[in-house]
Amino acid sequence: MSTVADQRTSVPSGLLAGSWAFAIRIWIALVIALYVSFWLQLESPTSAGLTIAVLALPTRGEWMEKAFFRLIATAIGLVASIVIVALFAQSGIFFLLALSVWMGICVYATGLFDGNKAYAAALCGTTVALVAIPQIDSPQLIFEASVARGSAVVVGVVALAFVSDILAAPDSHPNVVVALNALSRRVLDYSRKVTGAGAASSMQVCKLLQDITALRPQISGMAIESVAGEARRAAAHATAVELVVTTCAAHALQTTTQANTAAYRSQEVFGAIQKDAAQQSTREAELNDEDRLASCSAWLVNDLFEKNRRIHESMNALQRDAYPTRQWQTPYFPARRAAMTQGLRAALAFAVIAIFLGITGWPTDVRCLSLVAVLIGISATTPDVRGFTTLALIVAPISCVLTGILLFVVLDGATNFIFLAIGLAPFIVGSALLIASPRIALASLGRANLAFTLVLLAPTNPQTYNPETFLVTCLFLCLAAFLLFVVQFVIPPITNEERLHELLETSQRDLDQIDPSPHRYLAAEELLYRDVVRIGQVAAAAGLTAPSSSVDQALYLLDRTASIRRCIAELAPLANSPLATVVESARAAVIAGNAIEIENSARQIWSAGGPDSTAVLPSCSTLLVAARILGTAPSPAIANEGNER
Amino acid sequence: MTTTFRELVIGGVLVAPIISYVIGTIAVALVLRRVLYRIKFASYFSNPQIAELSLYVAIFGLLVAIF
Repeated sequence: MSTVADQRTSVPSGLLAGSWAFAIRIWIALVIALYVSFWLQLESPTSAGLTIAVLALPTRGEWMEKAFFRLIATAIGLVASIVIVALFAQSGIFFLLALSVWMGICVYATGLFDGNKAYAAALCGTTVALVAIPQIDSPQLIFEASVARGSAVVVGVVALAFVSDILAAPDSHPNVVVALNALSRRVLDYSRKVTGAGAASSMQVCKLLQDITALRPQISGMAIESVAGEARRAAAHATAVELVVTTCAAHALQTTTQANTAAYRSQEVFGAIQKDAAQQSTREAELNDEDRLASCSAWLVNDLFEKNRRIHESMNALQRDAYPTRQWQTPYFPARRAAMTQGLRAALAFAVIAIFLGITGWPTDVRCLSLVAVLIGISATTPDVRGFTTLALIVAPISCVLTGILLFVVLDGATNFIFLAIGLAPFIVGSALLIASPRIALASLGRANLAFTLVLLAPTNPQTYNPETFLVTCLFLCLAAFLLFVVQFVIPPITNEERLHELLETSQRDLDQIDPSPHRYLAAEELLYRDVVRIGQVAAAAGLTAPSSSVDQALYLLDRTASIRRCIAELAPLANSPLATVVESARAAVIAGNAIEIENSARQIWSAGGPDSTAVLPSCSTLLVAARILGTAPSPAIANEGNER
Repeated sequence: MTTTFRELVIGGVLVAPIISYVIGTIAVALVLRRVLYRIKFASYFSNPQIAELSLYVAIFGLLVAIF
């Protein structure tokens, strides 16, 4: 059993102090936002408070980027609210239909992005729910309600900006540097392992790739947090892409060595790269077929460490706030069909609940419907939709009890703002401490509780203490979570199996329909990064707690696609050389995926290259790897998985 | 003397002048960021965050004063 002392040492130094500083910042920002909202006599101070709750993120980069997208999404949502109310307010059924369609579109868009872009897409839907639905009986007030909501959101963002800057909220940059440093060490270790006699399991490789791509949203946030942010982001993106490229190259080498050839893992390989270049040029004239393999092996190993050196270069640029030598984009892979399915089901779920509430005829059911839409929107940004609904169902009653204590025990009729600020402190600081927890479940619980508390409290100036209104709001919050929970049994959100099915299908399709011409916008490395993002999605859907044939298959397809793309890229510089004919046949063999032809082409290019093999060594080496990878039959588990799909 | 603010009118809808100033501040700040990066602005201050915030507030104030 671990002692308290052990537990303390297991907590990273400064984490507790950092968490408290974060929690107090959030409380101060909330108090300022509410004070300014009251001072400006805004109609919707709750929205200012909710803005603080939503933007409660530990680092500046994270919350600033989210704030940026929140402002844009609020503007889009407000325009959509005005349009929907203007067009459909006279017809209840069409109004609900339009809302359902809009929710579906927003949830679909959420599935196409990650990070704060996904949040913005969801917010477009929830803004309409919060602004348009309450105005269903008074459409003439929609413009005023929109202005009130927009103003409150801006007040919340400005308040948090002042508090974060004055109380020196930490930047994302140091965290990203630490994370990328750790990842570059893992990649270097893996490269050493592969060039030695070792190998890593597909689970380990997948976890490594998933960890690299998981940093993507955090890296994006660095751009906005300081004047050097653009350079930092570019360097961090370059590092992430180099990490992915190196890991994939190491995995390809591992697959190649497993396929055959002791030469790859022999000590001769290391010996070959140590030899002097001048000696090599005379020796290479006498190369036979085995020497060719050895030279290619040496080049591949050398190339792997050259890639590691590039990672180091990008890391240096990141630490010096400089732009990297080579700048890469980090594209995201959108699972379009899964997003479409999710959007349709969300729209249907919303429509079913809206019809149910319409049939009940409760006078204040529109508030419940607003909350349902908000829950649908937020849940779309989480990887586990049903898990979020369950969490909301658990947290809602807890928040009701806590807010009841705050209103009727702690404040107990106080109308002074100072009392409100002091009374809020333990509830806000407690929730913010939970948000700062490294445990995802606790962090989600804290975030949901913070938002629910503010919704239930509905701060006004002066604060009202109507038990009936409070109980009705509590009832509708719990009812909204319960209705969504029940409806998700009838119209279930997309499952991990469905998601996996699409991801593997698109991987196979990309391999079958590989385009040999250069991509219009993305370099080969960026395309590889996008494919690896998909691997991360496969890992998330499959779970990495036990070996999975889906993960194996995804890596198998990635290896093949990447090796073909790399061959095409390495052959391109030779296309206009005297070797053009041989190179063209090699290219055709690669696109056809014919391992024997590829091996023959490599031999022909080597022979045609003459005594100086420097020019043809990269293409021959990558062709050799491609021949081994494309010539490897899938394992029985992978083959079964593919047949089932 | 009372200061008058120019209202922005979009499709017949009056937009509060503060919105125009905020958008103007963001536009100027975006251009200025590149210059600040080149002159290593952050290295002159112990707390660059407050320096940047102060600069943005100053730009906003200038826009309000000038226009």
